[in-house]
Amino acid sequence: MLKESLLYASVGELAKQIESKQLSPVELTECYLERSEKLGPRLNAYARLTPTVALEQAKLAEKEIRRGHYRGPLHGIPYAAKDLLAVKGIPTTWGAKPYADQIFDYNAAVIEHLKNVGAVLLGKAAMIELAGGMGYTFASASLQGEAKNPWNTTCWTCGSSSGSGAIVAAGLAAFAIGTETWGSIVCPSAFCGISGLRPTYGRVSRRGTMALCYSMDKIGPMARSAEDCARIFAAIAGHDPLDRSTLPVDRAAFTYSPAADLKSRPLRIGWLTNAWKEVDPGVKKTLDAAHKALAQHFPSVRAASLPEGPWEDAANVILSAEVSSAFSELIRSGRVKELTDPRGQIAGYVNLTISGADYNTALRLREILQGKMTELFDSYDVLAAASLPVPATPLNLDLDKELSFPDPLGGIGNLCGLPALSVPCGFTEKKLPVGLQFVAKAGDDMAVLQAGKIFQQHTDWHRKHPTLN
Amino acid sequence: MKKHVGVVLSRREFAQRAALLSATSFVSPAARLELPSDIVGDYQVDAGGAKLSPEGQVEANARYQQVLSLYGDRLNDDQKTRVKKMCAELQQALDHIRSYELQNGNAPALYLKPLYEREKRPQSAGATGKP
Repeated sequence: MLKESLLYASVGELAKQIESKQLSPVELTECYLERSEKLGPRLNAYARLTPTVALEQAKLAEKEIRRGHYRGPLHGIPYAAKDLLAVKGIPTTWGAKPYADQIFDYNAAVIEHLKNVGAVLLGKAAMIELAGGMGYTFASASLQGEAKNPWNTTCWTCGSSSGSGAIVAAGLAAFAIGTETWGSIVCPSAFCGISGLRPTYGRVSRRGTMALCYSMDKIGPMARSAEDCARIFAAIAGHDPLDRSTLPVDRAAFTYSPAADLKSRPLRIGWLTNAWKEVDPGVKKTLDAAHKALAQHFPSVRAASLPEGPWEDAANVILSAEVSSAFSELIRSGRVKELTDPRGQIAGYVNLTISGADYNTALRLREILQGKMTELFDSYDVLAAASLPVPATPLNLDLDKELSFPDPLGGIGNLCGLPALSVPCGFTEKKLPVGLQFVAKAGDDMAVLQAGKIFQQHTDWHRKHPTLN
Repeated sequence: MKKHVGVVLSRREFAQRAALLSATSFVSPAARLELPSDIVGDYQVDAGGAKLSPEGQVEANARYQQVLSLYGDRLNDDQKTRVKKMCAELQQALDHIRSYELQNGNAPALYLKPLYEREKRPQSAGATGKP
């Protein structure tokens, strides 16, 4: 039986031991499976485990490594995938009752990429139904029920990559794959005290992935550190001729090696003063300390502010219109009533009424905003702010009433397809994690990863993990 | 706020209201204000803390009526109340984006990628499952 600390080791640490044959991928997989079987149901973390696939892939990895065919840092590393990524022959429920029995006969591109580098699929992570695209009021808006936060099981993980957050934080897998349309990687990463990368729009193929909002959906890694995110991102990024939303070959691909640090540039950090209207006092205290740490370790940290404008509204209109198109049949047929959440059951009817003219107006605003953000990034390489202004919220909270606040950074970042990284930066007095968010210009995913890595070289928040008995 | 009661519409009423909804995007605010009060309805609802303009109220109510016309039989009273609130919230967002000054040359961030080659089209960029 492996030590629990090993289950919380980073991908980099596990990879070293696997490559040197000190650690067996099969043994590691069995330990994660056993822990997942035991703790997963307590947290509502998984939609389902895939032990047969996992052990088959782990045995293959072990065999290859013994023969000297080492595929790279993800070879033999167990992970979980959000249940909106198709896995051949295994139910892919999208977290929603109307799709509970859905099975695809192909793998999503990301699942295929990870298979090719030898990663081991432990299971499908629970998620908010339809990734929250139809709106939701309660954390329980999921086929698996509310995902419980490993740091405090009376609190939520945030969504929609809720299971992915719980799995990584609880040491049930070495990493997980999440998706974000607006907040679904950044928020669970912050609430769960893990590192999560929302890549630039178009860098990761969405083939075989549930479509929610065609012009805003992104797929990214959720892991123990910025460096782990970089390694995983390198495996899943790239142009896909079968997904026309992906960027061209030279812009989509991402390569990473620790040696890349030698080429790293001095980052100009913009500390955002208008990302949040109000910040919880516990979060603010932690953020102030993070601000000081940034000032010590980066050559330039100056106050910055986001452009003012109806950007969040534009993002909302685009999201609502695209979701109502993506799920038009579900809404029009009335089967939307099978969703769990009271808001999700009806919001689609309203969204269907958005006119083409208004949708196009929102798209025109997006173009203007992209120009303004490009200008802002002439002065800064990375913008920084709290990932969320509050720590993890109670499980039964009415999100409409009590977790409803302006989110200009999320709106702007997702409207423009900008990369973001959330890293843990401390805890509130109630021992709930707080996240620090870095955002960079489109295509400069390396900048947010570099900022996160430097921050984590000087702090140890990412090495903390909850006690789960 | 008056309690909104679900209505059963005749085909004629439905057609009138559908026409109203499609028209609200094109008529001037002044013209919208001349609409009969029963069509404007009670829309002095609070949408996220801000009240809607009179024309915004007209449009939000038309949107609400459209939802009721098409899907009202699927909604209970509580859901209708929620839908009405959502219509107000959406209206506020629409009012915000429409109030931003745009020039004719401000094109949308949406570009066609012509298929120069006969690429193998994906079955779908997303999954194709049906409920």
